[in-house]
Amino acid sequence: MKLLASAIALCTALLSFVVQARPLDEVTDSGIITVFVYKDYAPYSWKDENGEPTGIDVDIARHFAKSLDVEVRFLVRGADENVDDDLRVNLWKGDLIHRKFADVMMHVPYDKELDVRNEFIALMAPYFLEEMAVVTNVAQMPVLETFGRFLNKPIAVEVDTAGDFFLSNAFRGKLHQSIRRGRTFADVIDQYIKEEVPAAMGSKAQTEWIAHKATGIESKIFQPPMPGIVRKSWPVGIGIKHDSRDLGYALADVLTELVESGELEKISAKYGVSFQAPEY
Amino acid sequence: MKKNFKLLTIASAITLGVGLSGSVKADAVGIADIVGDQASTDDIVSYGLGPRGQRYSPLAIINKDNIKNLFPVWSFSFGGEKQRGQESQPLIKDGVMYVTGSYSRMWAIDIATGDELWQYDARLPEGILPCCDVVNRGAAILGDKVFFGTLDAKIVALDAKTGKVVWRKKIADFEAGYSYTAAPLIVPTDAHGPLLITGNSGGEFGVVGEVQARNPETGDLVWTRPVIEGHMGTMNGVETTMTGTANESWPGDMWKNGGGAPWLGGTYDPTSKLAYFGTGNPAPWNSYLRPGDNKWTSSRIAINPENGEIEWGFQTTPHDGWDYDGVNEFVAFDMEKDGKTIQAGATADRNGFFYVLDRNNGDFISAKPFVKNITWAKGIDENGRPIWDPENRPGNPAESADGKKGKSIFAVPSFLGGKNWMPMAYSQDTSMFYIPSNEWGMDIWNEPVTYKKGAAYLGAGFTITPIFDDYIGSLKAMDPATGEIKWEYKNKAPLWGGVLTTAGGLVFTGTPEGYIKAFDDETGEELWKFQTGTGIVSSPITWEQDGEQYLTIVTGWGGAVPLWGGEVAKFVSYLNQGGSVWTFKIPKQLASK
Repeated sequence: MKLLASAIALCTALLSFVVQARPLDEVTDSGIITVFVYKDYAPYSWKDENGEPTGIDVDIARHFAKSLDVEVRFLVRGADENVDDDLRVNLWKGDLIHRKFADVMMHVPYDKELDVRNEFIALMAPYFLEEMAVVTNVAQMPVLETFGRFLNKPIAVEVDTAGDFFLSNAFRGKLHQSIRRGRTFADVIDQYIKEEVPAAMGSKAQTEWIAHKATGIESKIFQPPMPGIVRKSWPVGIGIKHDSRDLGYALADVLTELVESGELEKISAKYGVSFQAPEY
Repeated sequence: MKKNFKLLTIASAITLGVGLSGSVKADAVGIADIVGDQASTDDIVSYGLGPRGQRYSPLAIINKDNIKNLFPVWSFSFGGEKQRGQESQPLIKDGVMYVTGSYSRMWAIDIATGDELWQYDARLPEGILPCCDVVNRGAAILGDKVFFGTLDAKIVALDAKTGKVVWRKKIADFEAGYSYTAAPLIVPTDAHGPLLITGNSGGEFGVVGEVQARNPETGDLVWTRPVIEGHMGTMNGVETTMTGTANESWPGDMWKNGGGAPWLGGTYDPTSKLAYFGTGNPAPWNSYLRPGDNKWTSSRIAINPENGEIEWGFQTTPHDGWDYDGVNEFVAFDMEKDGKTIQAGATADRNGFFYVLDRNNGDFISAKPFVKNITWAKGIDENGRPIWDPENRPGNPAESADGKKGKSIFAVPSFLGGKNWMPMAYSQDTSMFYIPSNEWGMDIWNEPVTYKKGAAYLGAGFTITPIFDDYIGSLKAMDPATGEIKWEYKNKAPLWGGVLTTAGGLVFTGTPEGYIKAFDDETGEELWKFQTGTGIVSSPITWEQDGEQYLTIVTGWGGAVPLWGGEVAKFVSYLNQGGSVWTFKIPKQLASK
């Protein structure tokens, strides 16, 4: 129904919308910080069997609340067409129906162009370095030198993600018959655990999470050459409203402390993820 | 008219109990009433003034000579804080109007007074992300129930007298990106009795278009028919046949998430006994990832409602790369050509071409442009396939992975279409189609880096540009036999509302500038207009009560247009929101003049 539409946000905003600032003192006075995390986005954020938000980003958000001495509330929603849309819907304008949005959004790529073209938000505090990777079942695929191996072996990937896009384009479409697209990341994990596929692609943290979950399978992470990939790695940070920067600075301090104390490494390890600090 | 039945006033949690000021006759709506809706002038019990969707009324009480005396009778406000786009077509039965509004709301209104009888508000859960405004396009009615779909992809049956829920069923999972905005369709069958038929909507990747038929009494599914090759249909919960052949026009497992949502609903032709649905664009939008025709996306399909089988399909935009989301309505009509009567059907596609097909078998008859300067195709060949212009297909984003902005192309029409959702009308008097269209194109380029769900990604940027300086909207009268455009009315803002034509020689449509207008069906001369105070993006209706002809239009600016900016914003940025029903007639003291 729609093409990628980063242009949409700006236009509607300029015509009819005033962003509601939520600076630090308002957040602390209200006693509540609302944090956006993606749903179905293990190991960063998802809801467990009891409906409780869980994951690396969720743990970080709980540290935010503790540090500001406020209660944390989570706004958990799926991803829209692109991050620009997510910033609009979850951070400054709200959804069309309930008009709800958060004080801070987790897991926003720290990218200058993204920052510039979304004038109602500010990107801050890169806290994690994302990379693309493949997890393989060692019994079936002990080594992975190149993606050429998937000319005749299946590989699972979440539909319409960076990994799907890379695989679909790789070798001018020659891997098409081998791509097993999961509708959700949980579907990808499921295929891997059931040994329907010898490999799965995602971010490095996601592939480590798969290895962590697939307890009966000996797994290994590979990062073969990815010709034509958009970015092999990129930092992620937080997003806040452009007029609430002091809140962002306060949260950036919390993140710095989490990184320097080794706490973020411990949090990541809980989910089988090897923490990588971003390069500033 | 004999008035022999008094409706009860019933209050409930969702009913703002208001009594009827008068009393009216009430017979339950039967399936024969729906099939014969076009000929009966005292009710409107189907979307499209008859299941064919011709939007033609045989009423001529209001005509070219007296339309200057048409004045409002009453106006009804939807109220609340919620406004946005109102795209609804009301239904009329026994002195009561059933009208849906934005945010999945519905009202029953006493026609004599404009008083509210009841209101129903769907409780919408968290997490719905409707792509293109929170509209609803109308209800269906059968027996003592009215039916409408809600934004969380559910269909609700309400008691027509009280507005209380009789049943509520899930069409699809809103958390997986599905929604619902169309008016449901009710058709007769021998095997199952009347069936309530819906499509589904959802623009997100992973959605698979499907048509579903239900028992209107219970809401239980009777059959389902996915529109994408490789998926299995069902009958009473048991798998029946596969749609097409798996992988015939899709690579790998892409058919599993192929898109094609028939989000605009369908029409039905009582002579062919087929239900016609338009299907949406394929997913993903990048056409280089899915070599092949990608059936049945951007197509018209004819379904036999007895068994849910696809009788025929016709793809207007094979291998779509422009987001020509071809859900446009297929309108059955009898075409006189070369001394013969052809059982035809017509559809004005998002891609800018007006197609005439044999409605019994889908055979291609003709295709003519109904907007100017089309660039994506050089024309349509003798088999109905587009003659693509490879220069004007959006580039492959993978080729901009070097970090540079990829090549930009200019395609006409824009992805909002030569015609979008707004339904056209067909006059049985002039044998012409009246098409609400827009003259605009789009620049599309590859973005070196964008992000999706926290990850680096390749996308496209676009902007919509008007073709002409002074107008975008264009209401055209087209002769379907020749493709000749007989007249054109130009409107500054893009047209986004449906059309109605009558035996009174009139063509009605609303404009985003707030006017409901009437045109001479032969010449296009503007004969009447009325400013309703907010933009119009809905479809007008007309009916007769107590010897008088009424006209109703729902008003309220919104829909997909204001969500897009660029050059188009200049044409619409000053328009105000609203949410009302306006009803008109010729006052008695002027009627005889």
